[in-house]
Formats: sequence, structure tokens, C-alpha cells
Amino acid sequence: MTSTAPTKQGPAPNLWTRTHGALIERLHIRLESLIVLFVLATTMAILSPYFLSVSNFMNILLATSTIGVLAIAATFVLSSGGLDLSLGSVMGLSGVVGAAVAVKLGAPTPVAVVATIAAGAAAGLVNGLIITRAFVPAFIVTLGMLGIARGMALVISDGRVIYGLPKAMVYLGQGRPMGIPMPVIIFLVTAVVMHILLAYTRYGRHTLAIGDNENAARTAGINIERHRLTLYTLSGALSGLAGLLFATRINSGDPTAGMTYELTAITAAIIGGTNLFGGRGSILGTMIGALIMGVLQNGLNLLAVQSYYQQMAIGIVLVLAVFIDQWQVRKESRV
Amino acid sequence: MSKMKTTLKLGAAFAALLAASPIMADGEYGVLMKTLANPFWGAMGQGVEEGAQAAGVAYFMQAVESDQAAESQLNVCNTMLERSPVAMITAAINSTNLLPCLKAAQDNGIKVVDLDGNLDPEILAAEGIDITFSIGSDNVLAGAQGAEYMVSRLGADATGPVLVIEGLSGNITGAKRATGFADKLAELAPGLEIVASLPGDWDRGKAANITNDILTRNPGLVGIFAANDGMALGAVESVFAAGKGGEIIIIGVDGNSDAVKSINEGRLTASVAQLPYLVGKQAVENVKVAVDGGDVERQVIVPTLVLTKDVIDAGTEPLLEFVK
Amino acid sequence: MSNLLEIKGVSKSFGPVDVLDRVDLIVAPGEVVGLVGDNGAGKSTLMKIVTGMYSADAGGITLNGEDIFHHTPGERRRMGIEMIYQDLALARQQDVAANIFLGREPTRSVLGMRFVDRATMRRDAQAMIDRLGARLPAINRPVGSFSGGQQQSVAIARALTFNPKVVIMDEPTAALAVREVQGVLDLIRQLKSEGIGVILISHRLNDVLSVTDRIVVLHHGRASANLTTAKTSMAEVVSAIVGGGDMAEAAAHEARG
Repeated sequence: MTSTAPTKQGPAPNLWTRTHGALIERLHIRLESLIVLFVLATTMAILSPYFLSVSNFMNILLATSTIGVLAIAATFVLSSGGLDLSLGSVMGLSGVVGAAVAVKLGAPTPVAVVATIAAGAAAGLVNGLIITRAFVPAFIVTLGMLGIARGMALVISDGRVIYGLPKAMVYLGQGRPMGIPMPVIIFLVTAVVMHILLAYTRYGRHTLAIGDNENAARTAGINIERHRLTLYTLSGALSGLAGLLFATRINSGDPTAGMTYELTAITAAIIGGTNLFGGRGSILGTMIGALIMGVLQNGLNLLAVQSYYQQMAIGIVLVLAVFIDQWQVRKESRV
Repeated sequence: MSKMKTTLKLGAAFAALLAASPIMADGEYGVLMKTLANPFWGAMGQGVEEGAQAAGVAYFMQAVESDQAAESQLNVCNTMLERSPVAMITAAINSTNLLPCLKAAQDNGIKVVDLDGNLDPEILAAEGIDITFSIGSDNVLAGAQGAEYMVSRLGADATGPVLVIEGLSGNITGAKRATGFADKLAELAPGLEIVASLPGDWDRGKAANITNDILTRNPGLVGIFAANDGMALGAVESVFAAGKGGEIIIIGVDGNSDAVKSINEGRLTASVAQLPYLVGKQAVENVKVAVDGGDVERQVIVPTLVLTKDVIDAGTEPLLEFVK
Repeated sequence: MSNLLEIKGVSKSFGPVDVLDRVDLIVAPGEVVGLVGDNGAGKSTLMKIVTGMYSADAGGITLNGEDIFHHTPGERRRMGIEMIYQDLALARQQDVAANIFLGREPTRSVLGMRFVDRATMRRDAQAMIDRLGARLPAINRPVGSFSGGQQQSVAIARALTFNPKVVIMDEPTAALAVREVQGVLDLIRQLKSEGIGVILISHRLNDVLSVTDRIVVLHHGRASANLTTAKTSMAEVVSAIVGGGDMAEAAAHEARG
């Protein structure tokens, strides 16, 4: 056996694919999803005269902010080989808890904000404890939490929206420093931090390894139970953040907020290249996935296409995205 | 609902919309519904369409996938503002989900209309949103009409137990109907005693179970009022199964097609019909008045009609044409 | 010669089944010990007890005289016990560097926060792959896209990157072509020359006889034979594995005194 420098087989890539391919790879995203996003945006811009404007761009980001934060949570859990079906319900519960703490208890804004996120984290911690200590499958545990959290939200709020948050709190949802909506700022900052966490820290790499091959991760000395516990807690805390964004945006805690969002969030993550069965995922990819859905919805809204068609369109994009991905993976494994 | 949008294929829809969406002349009305996947909202949409045609105004209508999709509706609302309509006619999913959009609309000089009375005047005042008008049926009045009809059938000095089936607990619409009924009943026929007032959660099966339970406790039940037709029809099933069909006055609210059918079959006694078609039509007509600088009442109340077999058979009631 | 790894009287049962019964096994620095036995004899269980994946019911384990009986798998790995699993235990969607450094990623500090040092990882991974003389299509590809032999190289590279003291190999040649088998045997000799202790689990007795110093035979959970490779034969080893006649005769002979 002789030592050779590793080279890709096949014709030498041209300069563009070398440099840009490397950049895209370093950012952990798939080129295909970027192309889909670009094509979609171009199509919408041609079809609707209202699409290309700064205010509409902000609309898209704003509309993507809650679902985007949930999709980040979904990316972490899915890429570790787990599943969290309680994202939407926990988001609803957190918003109601935050509103109740602020309105009913009259707590100051910082306390209410912390309570909102802590409520989500607590729900996630419970998920994680039952999954890792009682060895109940994540599907079952989080499905249970989906019902429990929604029920708690309705109980706490008595089934009604809790209106009238403190001014400072509402600023988080409605403020526009430099014309940029606060939820968009919070969403983007969260995405950057979470991207770094997943792609550039040992925590993130262990997350992917656990989802890839739990046995390999265990033999590598990673404490899988503790890691999973923190992942579900993180997922809950991010759901709490999503709840905070929505509640402050509409100045009230809505007990029905976030219904079926868990599925939308998982869809965004998967369109963005996350492996449903673990081992692969990136926050930037998920952002692109969420934006694909956001652009699609916004464009179809601008074209006044009925919401039924929008759901069809998103379903088609999901299946297409996974198809392209599988095709790509098969192609790679033939090399 | 535009026929173009019912075109089957997505591709065809794209192409059709490409052709149909040049920038509309100023003066477009934006209409935001909850969902069209229910006959009530469908009829209201139809009223808007025909009202707009009659008034000669352009409008575009959007809805969301379900009547729970609060954030979705807010996002659609924001997108609609991109088209700079002169007015936004909105049927909000709850009293707060559209607030930021409505505020933005107002800041841009767009007239805001509350379709079907989902907004809360106190919250609007707190947010500094001044809507042009609110249009819809008066739910308290609908309940009261139910009580009037029940008393007209049983007599003012009648006695006996009455059951009230409320809507989803905490829901304002159901609560208004139930209260309207109870207050009017106490006023007109103090001998009729409401022995139970329970939440049926808008659920036909749940209403049937409640009726069963109460019939067991109060076999001499003389009347049932349910806050919507679905629940009333559930009560009908239980009453007929218990062999008391025709002995108990059963009244629902909405006047939907299932209820009309049941009334024609002699099962459901009456339904206090809301006229969603008329709500939609009058909404557009009133917006036109407001846009043209005229005065519109802050609260436009669309009448409700007590539908019974006699009324349907006679066919002389002028409002009957709006029952869809 | 002082002992590197000492396993003394290790017993383990899963429910009513006794898988290991007071097993002793000793490895000296630079010694290659073959661990053979029939399927179900307890080889894998014994090795998982050494790496800490399973805990023994009784017995003791020391590394360089230090008691490691209660150490976690991660601690034992840090102390120098590496194992190459038969299924390779690779994260198939991660690249070569990620697999080699899994659980031991080097970090660098940026603004007080610790980030994985990907440049170092890639450089060191490349160096180790080169040292092994392995041929890989590309170092930044998911290892799942590699052939069996290439994946084996990654698994070996992972075991050798952190200067191990003891390397356990579970059927390292089972899935390899003849040419690649020779490479693995050469590697074992190289490890021996560097003073590393090696435990080789294999069904290929030819390989075991050609590369080991001693052969320990497990039979029904007991260490039934401890043979010096230079003084034994294929027949003796096989006989010990199946627990056959020769051994029974020997036992009888001993009993007669």
C-alpha cells in the first residue's frame, strides 16, 4: 500500500465549484436548497409586482420568525436521532405562561420573559427526563406532552387569550429598531448562535454523532443520556422563545397558538437538509428550508392563491426536497 | 370565491393568476376570512362577492387553512397590506391575533372593518385602533329570539325543566347566545326553569351525551336550547332515541343546511338563523359608503331569523332568500 | 516484564446465564495476545468489560497497576484502552476527521468560548491516514460512502491517533480482501514494536498463529487454555476451542497424578 494524497475522482472541478463549493460545504448547506430558494423567489418576483420590496422582505422574515425558531429546535432534536412533537404546544403554553405572569401576576417584563422561556425549558426537561430515565420512546413522550402542554395552556388561560402585556414586553414583538422588526432580529441572532453551537462546538458534533450511530458515540465516551436530556431541554427553551415572539407580537397569550406547528417546523428542517433519522443537520440549511416555505407562502398570499393550494405546494416541496436529497446521497455513495 | 381559484391544478392556477393579477386600480378592498372550509364562511364569502359586484368595487379575498390558524392569518393580513387596499374587511380568528396588522393598516390610512364581530372594543381602544365599523349578528339577540320562540310555543305560564347547551367554554359567541336565551326566558316565562347549562364544546356527540344525561335526571324536560345547530342536532338524536321525539322543543342557532333539513323532517323544532350571506353583502355595501365619505353606524347589526317548518313552508319571509 | 493490562477473575452473568466465569487475562507491553473461542464463548463480552461498556459482576481490572474497574468508557479510553469494533462503530454520515476525533475533538478558544479546531482535526486526520498508508477517496467525505476496507482504515486510525497503550481488535480481518489482511497484520506487528499491547479477536486462526505471542482460549465463559504461540499448533488451538478430546485427556492425566 502506498500513501497517496486524497483526491476526488472524476474530472477536476472548475474554479467556481472549487471555491464556492468549499464555501457552501463549510457553511453546512446543500447547494440544491439554495437554488430552489433562488428559483422560487425569482418566480414570485415575476408573478407578483408586490413581491420585491423591502417591506415585503420584512414580511417574509417576520412570518418566518416563530416557525423558524421552532425549526431550529427541530433540527437539533432530529439530527440527534430524536423527535419532538410537542414544539407547537409548548410554544402555546409558554406564551400563555408569560402572559399570565405579566398580566395576572403583574410581574415586570424581565421576569415575564424569563418565565416564558423557562416554561418551555421545563416542559422540554420533563420530555428529556422521561425519555432518558424511563426509556419511553420520544415519539410517545412528546406526543403526550403535545396534549399536556396544550391542555395546560387552556387551563391557565381559561380558554381565552390573555391580553395586555407590559409595553416593554410588547416591544420584543412589535418594536422596529432601524425598521427591522424585533422578532426578526431575535430570530436571526438565535439562528447564528445555534448554527455555531451545532456546527462548531463539541456539543454540536456530538449531537450529530449520536444521531448517526448511537453505539459509536457511546463507545467514544459520550454520555448519551445526559446529552439527550440537554437537547430536549434546549428544544423546549427554543419553543418558549417562539412562544415569546408570537405572544409579544399580538400583545397577548393565545392558548391555541402554535397548533400543528411541530409538523411545519419539522418540514422546514427536512427541506433544509436535516436527516429525519439523525446524523445530519445544519441550522443554516434549516433557515433556507424555513425561508423556502416562507417565500412560497408569502408569494402565494400575494397572488391571493387559496390556502388549500398553499398546503399542497408545501407538501410537494417537502417530498421533492427529500427526493433530491436521497438521489444526491445515492450518487455520492456510488463514488 | 372566484371561480378561477377553483381551477384544479396548481400549474393552471399559477398561469390563470398570472393573467388575472395586473396591479389593480386603486380602490381595492381586501377581505380576510377565517377559513372557507365551512358553509357559514362560504356563504359570507359569497355575500361579499355578490355585494362587490353589485356595488362595482374590486376586492381580493383570502382565508387561512383552519379557524385555529391565528398566526397564519396575521401573516396573510400583513401580506395583504402590500397591495395597499383602501379597506380591510377582516374576520379575525380571535380578539387579538390581527392587532399588529390592523394597527399598520390604520397607520397607512386603510379603513378597518370587523366582519362578524370578533374584535373586542376594549382591546381596540387600548391598542388605539379605531375601526370604521363592526358588522355581524347580535348573538345576545339571537339567544333571546330563541327564548321568545320557545315561550310562544309553550306559553308564558308554562312550567317545566329546560336544558341549555353552551358552546366551547370560554368562547364569547356561545356565552352570549346562552346568556341571551337565559335572560329572556326568565323574563318571559319564569315558570320554565333552566335545570342545567353545560358546555357542549360545539361538539355534536358531546351535546348528545349531555342531553341523554339530563333526560335521565329530568324525564319531563320541555325544552332544549343549543348554542349552535350542530349541538342542537346532537340533542335531537338523543331525544328521538329516548322516544320523546316531538315532545320537546329543540332550538339551535345558525340556520345551516343540516338544520333546515332536520326542521323539514320535523325533528329539529327551530333554528335562529344567522344570515352570513347578508353579513358579507352588507359589509361591502357599508364599506363603499364609508370610502365614499358617507356615515356608517359604528355597529351594524344584521338581523337573525327564527326558522321553523311554518316559516320555511310559507316562504313569505323576505329574509328567507338570504338563508343559504 | 511488568504487566500492562491485568484482568483477574472477571465474572459476568446476564440474568440466569453465566457468560464469563472467573476469567484471567494478562497483556504485557509489546505483547500480542490472541483471544479465540467459539461463538458465544464470551469474547465480546469480556472485551466490552475491558472497555467499560459493560460492568463485571466480580473481579478486577488494572492498567499499569492502576485499578480501572469502576472507570467509565470515556476515562478508560483517555487512559489508553482503544477498541476497534467488528462493526467499526463509525458515524457514517460524518467525515473522516469527525470520526477519528469523535468524543476527543481538539478545541481552540475564541473570545473565551471553546470551538472545535477543525483545521487541526483535518491536518492530524490526514497525517494519520497517510501514516497508515491508507487510500481514501477524500478526507472530507462521509465515511459511509467508503468501501469496507477504507472504513476499516478510518476505524484503525481512530484507535491509533491518541497514543494508545492497549488496542483491542475485534475481527479486524473478517471483511477484508487478502491484500488488505496482510496490511492489518503488518500494522499489528508495528504496534508491537512500539510497545503497544494488542488483543486480537479472530476466527482466522492462521492470522492469529502468525502474529500473536500468546493465545487465550475461551470456552463456555472460562479461560480454558493459555498457550504460547511459538509452542503450540493449529490442532491444539482448535481442540481447545471445541473443548475436545486432547484437553479432556490432559485433564484426566493430571487427575491421575
